[in-house]
Amino acid sequence: MELTIEHLSKRYGQHFALRELSLRCEPGMLGLVGPNGAGKTSLMRMIATLLSPTEGTIRWNGQDIRTHGQALRQVLGYLPQDFGIYPEFTGRQFLRYLAAMKGLPSSLVNRRVDEVLSIVNLGQEADRKLPTYSGGMKQRIGIAQALLNDPELLIVDEPTAGLDPTERVRFRTLLSSLTSNRIILLSTHIISDVEAVANRLMILQEGRVLADTTPEALLAQTAGSVWSVTVDQATALQLQANSQVSTMVNQMNGVALRIVSATRPHEAAVVVDPSLEEAYLRAVGRQEVRV
Amino acid sequence: MNITALTSTGQQTRAIERPRLLARAWELRRFLASRLFWFQALGLFGFLFLMTWALHAPDQIGAGVSVGGGGVSLNGFVAGTSAGGLLRTLPTVLVVLALLLPFVTADGVTRDLHRRTHELLMTSVLPTWAYVWGRYLAGLVMSLGLALLLLASILGMGWLLHLTVTDYPAPETGAVLLLWTGMVLSATILVSSFGFALSTLLPRISTLVKVVIMVAWIMGALVIPLGLGGNTTPPAWYVNWDPTSGITAHGLLPSYAIHLGPTITSEAQLQQLILSIENKMPDLAGWFAPHLLLAGCSLALVLVAALAFKRSRDVLN
Repeated sequence: MELTIEHLSKRYGQHFALRELSLRCEPGMLGLVGPNGAGKTSLMRMIATLLSPTEGTIRWNGQDIRTHGQALRQVLGYLPQDFGIYPEFTGRQFLRYLAAMKGLPSSLVNRRVDEVLSIVNLGQEADRKLPTYSGGMKQRIGIAQALLNDPELLIVDEPTAGLDPTERVRFRTLLSSLTSNRIILLSTHIISDVEAVANRLMILQEGRVLADTTPEALLAQTAGSVWSVTVDQATALQLQANSQVSTMVNQMNGVALRIVSATRPHEAAVVVDPSLEEAYLRAVGRQEVRV
Repeated sequence: MNITALTSTGQQTRAIERPRLLARAWELRRFLASRLFWFQALGLFGFLFLMTWALHAPDQIGAGVSVGGGGVSLNGFVAGTSAGGLLRTLPTVLVVLALLLPFVTADGVTRDLHRRTHELLMTSVLPTWAYVWGRYLAGLVMSLGLALLLLASILGMGWLLHLTVTDYPAPETGAVLLLWTGMVLSATILVSSFGFALSTLLPRISTLVKVVIMVAWIMGALVIPLGLGGNTTPPAWYVNWDPTSGITAHGLLPSYAIHLGPTITSEAQLQQLILSIENKMPDLAGWFAPHLLLAGCSLALVLVAALAFKRSRDVLN
C-alpha cells in the first residue's frame, strides 16, 4: 500500500492553504504538526476525498483518487477534527449505521461493532443515546467509527482533543499497535502525542512543508540549542521577552526556564536535552510558553 | 481504551449492494428511533382528525319554501367528507400538510452538512447518487405517511360522523381516494421533491427555501382563492394546473351547486337532494393529469439535484 502526493496545492481565493506539497507514505505513522492555519486539515480532507485540490495529484496504490475515489474510500478510516452525531441513535446504532455505509457485510457488522466498542472502552455505554455522551465519549465513538472497516489508510485529525489523560495514553498505544500494516496520518497540536507514536514527522507552516523528518532526527538537529536556567522574576521576564522560552516554572529559588536558542541566552544557562516540543518550536520559530 | 488487535476485515469491505435502499432504510430507521417523531405524527393525526370534525359541515343550506299556503324554513348541510364537501375543505387542510412537509424532506441532505455528519458519510463507500436518492426516498416515504394520516382522518372521521350524526352520509371511499390522489398525493410529492431538490442544490439558504415554499402555498391555496371571491371564474389553465388545488376546487365547485326546485318541501327531501349532488364523483377531466404531471416533474428536479451534488467541496465548511 502506498499513498503518493505530488505538487498538491489548495487555494481559497488568493489565499493558499497548501502549496506544492509532495509526499510519499508507506505503512507507518506520519505525524502532521504545525500552527493553526498551516494547512493540516486541508491536506487531510483532500486525501479523504472531501476537498478538491486546486493543483496536483493524490494517488492511492498508483491510482489517482479523483477518478478512483471509491477504491480509496473502501480502505479509508477518517476521524474529522469536529464531527456531528445523530441524536436519535445510541452509540451502538450509530456504529452499525456507519458500518453499513462503509460496506461491511451484515454478517460481520455486529461482531465488528462490539469489537471497536471494546477497543474504545464504551461497551457499557453503547446502548445509551448519543446526546447523553460526554465530549470524551463522543470522541471515542468517532475513533471507533474510523476503525470499523479495519482501514489501510487511517486519517485522524486532532484525535486526542477532549480525551482525559488516561484515555489519551490508551489511544496513543492503540495507534501504535495499528501502525505495522497500515498508513496512519495523525494531525495534532499535542507534540507529545507525535513523540509517543509517530515514526515520521512533517511540520507544516503557511501551507508549506517546513520539515519532513523523524522525531529522532529533529531532536538531533536541536541538540545544543535548548538551555535551562533558574533566575529571578525580573530576569525571567526579560528573557521571555527576548528569547524563545519553552517552559517557565515558578520555584522556591526563582523561576526555572527552558529556552530554545542557538546561542547561550544567559551566563548561567546550561545546555539540556531537547524535547520534541522544543525541537518543533525551533523549527517553526514561534514562541509558546508553558507555565 | 482496550488495546486489542483488530480483526481483519479489509478483504471483506466491499461495494454496498442496493445502496439506495440501504441509505433509505437507515434514514427511516433513524427517524423511527426518535420518540419525538412518533409524538409529532400522533399529534398531526389528532389535529387533522379534529380539523375534519370542525369542517364536517362546511356549507349550511337554508331555504324558505311555501307549503300549503304557509312558509316553512328548511335547513340542510353539505357533509365535509363527501366529494363536494372535500372540494370546499381539502385545500385548507392541505395547507397544514404543505406547511409541515418542507421540514420533513427539505433537509434530508443539508441536515448532514449542518450537523457535520456529512464528512463521516462522504468518506464511506456509499455512492453519491445513492446517498441523495436514499435521503430523498426516506423523506418521501415519511411525507406519504403523513398524507396517509390525512386520508385516514377523513375516512375515520367521516365514518364516525356517519354513525353519530343524523343524516350524515358515509364517505364515498372512491371519491375520497380520487380527490386525495389528485390533490393530496400529488401535492405531497411536489412539495417534498421541490423542497428537497432546492435545499440540496442551495444548502446555504435551505431555511429560505422552506419559507418561500410555505408562503407560496398559503398564497396559492388561501389568499388567491379568497381574492377571487365567489363570482369570479378563474382561467381554465389555472384551474387545471394549480398545485395547491385552491383554484382547482374553486373551478370544480359550480358542478356541486345546490339548486332548490319546487318539489323540495321537506328537510328530508332537501338533504336527499344535497346527498345526490355532494357525493357525485368529481370530474377528473382537465386537472387530474396535470396535477400528477407536476408531481412527476418535481422528480426530475430531484434527479438534477442528485446529479449536481458534489461529494467533495471546494471550500471548508
